[in-house]
Amino acid sequence: MRIVSSLALLGSAAVASFCAASADAATQGSLGATSTGTVTITATVPNRAQITGLSDISFTNADPSTSASSAQNSCVWSNTATRGYSITASGSGTAGAFTLTSGALAPVPYSVQWAATSGQTSGTALATGTALTGLTSTATRPTCSSGPATSSSLVVSIAATDLQDMVASASYTGTLTLLVTPQ
Amino acid sequence: MKRFQRLTRILGAAALLLIGGAAAAPASAQARINKLSDVAFGTLSNFATDSVQAQSVCAYSLGLLGAYHVTASGSGTGGAFTLGNGAGATLAYEVQWNDSAGQSSGTALTSGSALTGQYSGALLSGCTLGAATTASLIVVIRATAMTTATAGSYSGVLTIILAPN
Repeated sequence: MRIVSSLALLGSAAVASFCAASADAATQGSLGATSTGTVTITATVPNRAQITGLSDISFTNADPSTSASSAQNSCVWSNTATRGYSITASGSGTAGAFTLTSGALAPVPYSVQWAATSGQTSGTALATGTALTGLTSTATRPTCSSGPATSSSLVVSIAATDLQDMVASASYTGTLTLLVTPQ
Repeated sequence: MKRFQRLTRILGAAALLLIGGAAAAPASAQARINKLSDVAFGTLSNFATDSVQAQSVCAYSLGLLGAYHVTASGSGTGGAFTLGNGAGATLAYEVQWNDSAGQSSGTALTSGSALTGQYSGALLSGCTLGAATTASLIVVIRATAMTTATAGSYSGVLTIILAPN
C-alpha cells in the first residue's frame, strides 16, 4: 500500500492599512557658519507572516494494523509585537476535507495537528477551514534564516481503521494547504 | 569629468554674478541648506526590495568654489539613523548624499561624521537664482531592516548640517 500526500504552503499577510500622514514639518536652514535643517521620516511596517520549510509527506507501505503518523518541523515567522499568528488548514477533499484520493476509490481521511514549537510528534488537532489562534512563534527572521532553524511542528496521521479501508498497492494523494495569518 | 563639469558650473555662476554686479565678497564663509521636505515612505509593502526616497535640496556655500561638507544625525540612540514606534522598537535606515540634484543614490553618510569634498553650484543663498536645487538627499530603508522590524508605524527626525569648507 502506498499513500502519497503532498503539501502546499501558503503564507498570508494582513496588511495594515494605516499610513502615517503628517503635515510637512521639515525645517529649513538659515545662512550661517553652519546651517541646520531637519526632516521627519515616517514609515509603516505592515503585519506579515510566512511559513516555510515544509516537506511533502509520503506514507509508504504503511502497516494497516497501526496508525501511521508523520511529523515535521517548519518555520513560521510573524512580525507582530507578540510574534503571534493563527493557522488554518484545508485539504483537497470535498469542501476542504482532509482526505486522500486514488481515482474512483473511496477517499481516505487523515488528521492534521499543529504545535507552535518544533520537534513535536503531537499537537492541537486542526479542523479544515477553522483557524487555530493564539499561537506564538520563536522565529526572529523570515525563513528562520537566523535564530531558531524551525519554530513549529506539523503532524499528519492516518488512523489504522482508515488504513485498513485502503486498497493495497493503490496510490493515494492529496494536498494540504496551510494558511498562516499574523496576529 | 564630473569635477570639470562642476568647476565649469561654478565659474559660470561666478561670472554671472560679476556681470550682474550682484557679487560681494563674503565677510566669512557661510552656508545654507533649505528646500528640505519630510520623507514619507508610507506602507513598506514589499519586503523583498529596498525602499528609497530621494529629494533634491538647495545646498549653498560660500566656501572656495562652493565647497562644503555635510553632516547628518538621526534621532535614534547616539544619533543613530533609526526610526522608532514609540514602544521601543526601531527601524534602521541609511542616508546618502549627492552634491548634484536629481540623483537617486549618493555617498553613504555615517551619523555625526562629515562628508567632505562637496561642491555647490548655487548662485545665491536659497537657490533663488539659477538652479532651484543643487544636491540630493537620499534615505533608504533596506529590505533586511524591514524584515527585522516589528509591525507598526515608525517616525524619526533626520538632522542635516551644512558647513562651508
